[in-house]
Amino acid sequence: MRFSSLLHKEFRECLPWMLLAAILFVAVTSVLFQTETYSENNSYRFSRLSPGTVISSYKITFYPAMSETGPWLFFLSIGLGLALGVRQFWIPNFTGTWPFLLHRSVSRNTILAAKLTAASIAFACSIVPIWVGIYWYATRPEVFAVPPTFRFFIEGWIFITLGLVTYLGAGLSGLSTAKWYTTKIFGLAFASLIIITTFSQRSLVWVLTLIAVSAAILLSRIFDTFLRREF
Amino acid sequence: MSEIVLETEGLTKYYGDSLAVDHLDLEIPRGCICGFVGRNGAGKTTAIKLMLGLLEPTAGSSRLLGCDSSALTPAIRQRIGYVTEGHRLFRWMSIAGLEKFQRAFFPKQWDDKFFTDMIEYFDLPKKKKIKHLSNGQRAQVSLALALAPNPELLIMDDPTLGLDAAIRRQFLEGMIGLIMREGRTVLFSSHILGDVERVSERIVVIDKGILRAYCSLEQFQEAVKKVIFTFADSVPNEVNIDGLLHCKRIEKQLELTLVGTDDEQIAEWAMSAGAENHTIVKMNLEDQFIEFTAPANQKRLFKWEER
Amino acid sequence: MPLWIQILPGSDEPIYVQVTEQISEAIARGQLASGDKLPAVRKLASELVINPNTVARAYSRLEQAGLVTTKTGSGTFVSDPKMRRSDAADINMLAERMDTLITRGLNLGMGEQDLIRLFESRLTKFSKKSNKRKEEK
Repeated sequence: MRFSSLLHKEFRECLPWMLLAAILFVAVTSVLFQTETYSENNSYRFSRLSPGTVISSYKITFYPAMSETGPWLFFLSIGLGLALGVRQFWIPNFTGTWPFLLHRSVSRNTILAAKLTAASIAFACSIVPIWVGIYWYATRPEVFAVPPTFRFFIEGWIFITLGLVTYLGAGLSGLSTAKWYTTKIFGLAFASLIIITTFSQRSLVWVLTLIAVSAAILLSRIFDTFLRREF
Repeated sequence: MSEIVLETEGLTKYYGDSLAVDHLDLEIPRGCICGFVGRNGAGKTTAIKLMLGLLEPTAGSSRLLGCDSSALTPAIRQRIGYVTEGHRLFRWMSIAGLEKFQRAFFPKQWDDKFFTDMIEYFDLPKKKKIKHLSNGQRAQVSLALALAPNPELLIMDDPTLGLDAAIRRQFLEGMIGLIMREGRTVLFSSHILGDVERVSERIVVIDKGILRAYCSLEQFQEAVKKVIFTFADSVPNEVNIDGLLHCKRIEKQLELTLVGTDDEQIAEWAMSAGAENHTIVKMNLEDQFIEFTAPANQKRLFKWEER
Repeated sequence: MPLWIQILPGSDEPIYVQVTEQISEAIARGQLASGDKLPAVRKLASELVINPNTVARAYSRLEQAGLVTTKTGSGTFVSDPKMRRSDAADINMLAERMDTLITRGLNLGMGEQDLIRLFESRLTKFSKKSNKRKEEK
């Protein structure tokens, strides 16, 4: 009951950002797919090809609308991560609500867990289902000549998890009471470093391991900081 | 002596190099209203946050209801009410939303009727959001949220700052109402000496982080006094009397502000110094407080033992 | 019997003294007659919005002065004037207080007769009401 009360409060605070990300993502992808339908590129769809048409293999292996969603997914995910991190761990410093929130008949761990759970739900209910939906739509027969590969789908997931890493980084920086040029920058800098490293890697296994390890590091730092911090 | 519900021992807090609270020793017994006074920046908020475990002490310790402040368990927190400085509540929540949020943390002890009655008494619509309330209304909600769980120990950090007389009175009524129930204790900091005088049984005075007085209100009022001595020819250069706070020379008169000096001592000193006569001037609590915390000729801790 | 007490925080007199003096005055004026019950400590504290201990302290001062008696279990009552003790010290203190008032009056340029007349006219304020109560009885 106490946890659900906390979760309800945290989730409600994440809600506007979650909705904004979801609406933007749906809008962008539908525009991209729509443009494709009405452009010359719609000839790439098997359904619209008249029998006997000869097209180059270059053209049929390419799915421009789908690949253009990639950068959008990346930026929206990072943006959502930043917004949630700032909302949950920075804003209370300015609104002065920490003392009220922390004087609860629960442990600090529970309060933090509610925040993290709320943010995870916000990701899981906005960007994730839309991305799954896009993949599902794109792999339906007759939508694309050559449906997007599973690897392509997984790469989207990497963007989503990078969003979570950004969230943790922003949260850690927000929680830190140190000066900017010292350890306060660590959370955001670490998250940025992970993002850059990820882009330079080709091996999926390596990338996923890197993200998992960095998320674990940030998570443990957040718990540690939250338990010790003065409010 | 009754059970101690709030206790600090050498409680000290530094922010970097600056000292905010310096070796605070307090013992507040169950069942009293204790006014916590000090000038701006005297360390009241820091002391309260230390007591509630929101800050980590540099040295010393404090205990609430027998539990160390830095490790307050959920069960102990449930018995403590805390009204934060400035009544900072979640701005986007409605009064009803906050009620639901707060109630979840006080299962069984939350008094639904009390809260609703209080909000109605304040004439506040429950659907209204916190961000649309005035400062005074927000303070009223904050008071209702703190009182509805019927806390054993209520700690309020300058709850009436910037509020009008009517709302301030409601806070005082709330404190009196709580204290009437068996075994409830209130500690509240305030700048308004009139409020403190009205409801407090004991007062804590701190100045620049240092505990200056901790005693019953009556003892404080009796202890700080001003005496005017008149001399025939000239005022003595040296004033050597116990409990001297300030001394002022006006022609043939000498005005001393004293603390804890009894009338006999004053008369003795007047004799030995050769004063023609002396009058003890009554002071109100506010003047006493101002004189007491003003930069002094000679500082000393004024603490009365339990009678 | 309404008991009207006004609390002035920020005055030179501590609040318990204010309560004590106002009740003493009500008794002297006959607004409270012997046998009248004083409000319960907690009730008066809530009404005046002051600490219950302050009221209790005022009541115990009144009791020390012999103006009221507390009967355990039933409350605090205004005592019979015949039962009130007044020792030499009390009368002495009263005389000293009168001295300050007389000094003021003389300083204002009043004559002896003026002072006596003033004293008498003030006195009627107290006796009138007590007389009235007696007549009612």
